[in-house]
Amino acid sequence: MRPYRAAWMAAVAFACALVLAFPARAGVATTKHNLSASGPGTVKAATEAQICVFCHAPHNSAPSAPLWNRQTPGSTYTPYTSSTAKAAAGQPTRGSLLCLSCHDGTIALGQVLSRTAPISMTGGVSTMPAGSAGHLGTDLSGDHPISFAYTSTLASTRGELVDPGTLTGAVRLDSGGQMQCSACHDAHNDLYGKFLVMPNTASALCQVCHVKDYWSASDHKLSAKTWNGSGPSPWPHTSGTTVAANACEGCHRPHTAPGKKWLQNAATEEGNCYPCHNGNVAAKNIQTEFAKASIHPVAGTTGVHDPAESGIVNSRHVECVDCHNPHASNAVAGTIPGSLIGVRGIGINGVEVNPATAAYQICYRCHADSSGQPAPKTARVTGQNNTRLDFLTSNKSCHPVAGACPQVTPSSVLVSPWTSSSILKCGDCHNNNAGPGNNGTGPAGPHGSTNPSLLERSYTGTRPAICAKCHTTTYVKFNGDSSHRKHTGDIGATCNTCHDPHGSLNYPSLINFDTSLVTFRSFTPSTAGQANNGSCNLTCHGKNHNNCSYNNC
Amino acid sequence: MNLKATYRALVAAVWLALGASSGTAGTLAGSAHDFSTASWGGGQICVPCHTPHKANAGVSAAPLWNHTVTTQVYTLYALLGGKAIMGQPTVGDKLCLSCHDGTVALDSYRGLTGATFVSAANNLGTNLGVHHPSSFHYDTSLATANGSLFDPTTKLVTIGTGTQVKTGTIGAILLSAGQVQCSSCHDVHNTFNATTKNLLKMSMATSAMCFACHNY
Repeated sequence: MRPYRAAWMAAVAFACALVLAFPARAGVATTKHNLSASGPGTVKAATEAQICVFCHAPHNSAPSAPLWNRQTPGSTYTPYTSSTAKAAAGQPTRGSLLCLSCHDGTIALGQVLSRTAPISMTGGVSTMPAGSAGHLGTDLSGDHPISFAYTSTLASTRGELVDPGTLTGAVRLDSGGQMQCSACHDAHNDLYGKFLVMPNTASALCQVCHVKDYWSASDHKLSAKTWNGSGPSPWPHTSGTTVAANACEGCHRPHTAPGKKWLQNAATEEGNCYPCHNGNVAAKNIQTEFAKASIHPVAGTTGVHDPAESGIVNSRHVECVDCHNPHASNAVAGTIPGSLIGVRGIGINGVEVNPATAAYQICYRCHADSSGQPAPKTARVTGQNNTRLDFLTSNKSCHPVAGACPQVTPSSVLVSPWTSSSILKCGDCHNNNAGPGNNGTGPAGPHGSTNPSLLERSYTGTRPAICAKCHTTTYVKFNGDSSHRKHTGDIGATCNTCHDPHGSLNYPSLINFDTSLVTFRSFTPSTAGQANNGSCNLTCHGKNHNNCSYNNC
Repeated sequence: MNLKATYRALVAAVWLALGASSGTAGTLAGSAHDFSTASWGGGQICVPCHTPHKANAGVSAAPLWNHTVTTQVYTLYALLGGKAIMGQPTVGDKLCLSCHDGTVALDSYRGLTGATFVSAANNLGTNLGVHHPSSFHYDTSLATANGSLFDPTTKLVTIGTGTQVKTGTIGAILLSAGQVQCSSCHDVHNTFNATTKNLLKMSMATSAMCFACHNY
């Protein structure tokens, strides 16, 4: 081989050796933690050329950490707490205090033990600039908890956490078994951005420790939907452009979270849902539903909802997450729709069901045994505001929501597809007036309606649309010489005057008179199998009905 | 005049001129280890550490040793999770500490006991826990176990500046018998004249001395 070629090959081999000698780490000199005058960030020294000195010194260092060159913060911090946090995070300890010696904004960045005067920074910066991403302050209640013992007991007690014995990869606890800043961040290496120890695409980093029930089949994990560019960006803090790429960070952020208790992007509960569920990411615009006349008032409360609250809600409120589990929801149809999976409910017997197996159980969390409910809209003979009791199948009659009711309506007088064996959902009557149930294109669900009582269709007039959704007009004799015709046609009474749309404890056919119109004395229903031999004993608008029978009064 | 003698004198003069100016060659004279100006130095540079006759034969790390060797037992550096095996300072480090631990007077040489001690700024004290670890074996297996150290058998470093430079692996250039010692970072005779203070082998601009071994 010619000497020239030999030399060239040697040079190539030498270069390869150099490359191999430098593993794939983005050196600290290229990161914002290079605070020297050569640093790439906006915060840097005026003239100081040394990089390591801001944290380390080879001699006379502080014993708190490897050759540490900073004083320990003397601040008292507000730690993270929430009703669902089982780790009793106290004051920051050990490694996290090292990070906080800059990031809590109390100690000047250039103040180091090895220099008598603080190293001066450009732009008059001394402490971590307030408002910058790196400024955590001393109120850590909106930051991921740190400095707690992450034990197997914690994982099994709290649930939805991996056993810490599996944390042997990029994410580690400190040598004392505590979770610290260093579990997620590597101060010297910015290869993945934000000094993360691994990329957080699709929240891979979060999910090293956090395993949410139902997540694997949820749309928030799987959806490839993107933002259409209108309205506020749903993902201002990440580079992900789909729901799946953002995953946890679609609703959560680990630092300086406005929704502190559950580290959420928005301080209001519904504010976490709206940026996508306004039609700009999700196909349907749910946000606009809440501007209608009759709504579930999600904006009415902030900070009242608590995931640790009892199954029966007694502190009156409603939020998206009272009905929906955002870690579970998807669009898969089933006995319970995908949008309602993974949510607690109250069964027909008043006992908690987790997860709910029917939609009405979710409604029963608030519309059944809860205290503090307003009085029913219509005062009735056997009126009460516990909807669960209305639908008991032991009642004389009911709309079949919680099960089949004793009085069966023949299929022949029901509008297809309803039959005598149909089981109803609350949402068959209470729903979006412009939703698919009413042949509309709006989103399904009892979010808002232009009709009172969140009804899908109107309940006014003598032929209410909501009743006519299922009940044919041939069933109820609106024609001919019938009492129904006399009351609805001649007098103009509505169904609501005599019938309770939920259920009647004592009488068939949902008879349960409106006591603001009817002074009730007694009612004898028709004998089963014999039509029209019942009688009423009451006064209505001053008109006495003294044992009036159905056909003869 | 003898032309050869003139020529020799000229060469000698050039040599002297070159030697006297700093920056073209490392120089002990004028550095922090130039003891000739100290009141206790006897007007000489070398004698507080070296002597040509009747030296301490028991010191193997340095030739012709003349200074009292420290007998201090130190508190060692102990990093949580550190992979290096730490022990009391070995011979080379002991020599540095014989002035810099503050227990032996600077002018305790030639068998005499002195009374002048190192200044507070240069006194490392007897707790080595607050100083960069030293006197430990730095090899490929330590680098692998640690995860953020360069392999000392392959990583190349360059020390010194100007004409006084030397390039080689960490092991060849910085380590002493495979160990990290004070001499890994500090240039006791200012041979390489790399810095204006602290007698370092590399500049501290961009913390180059640290990054010679630490892969950050």
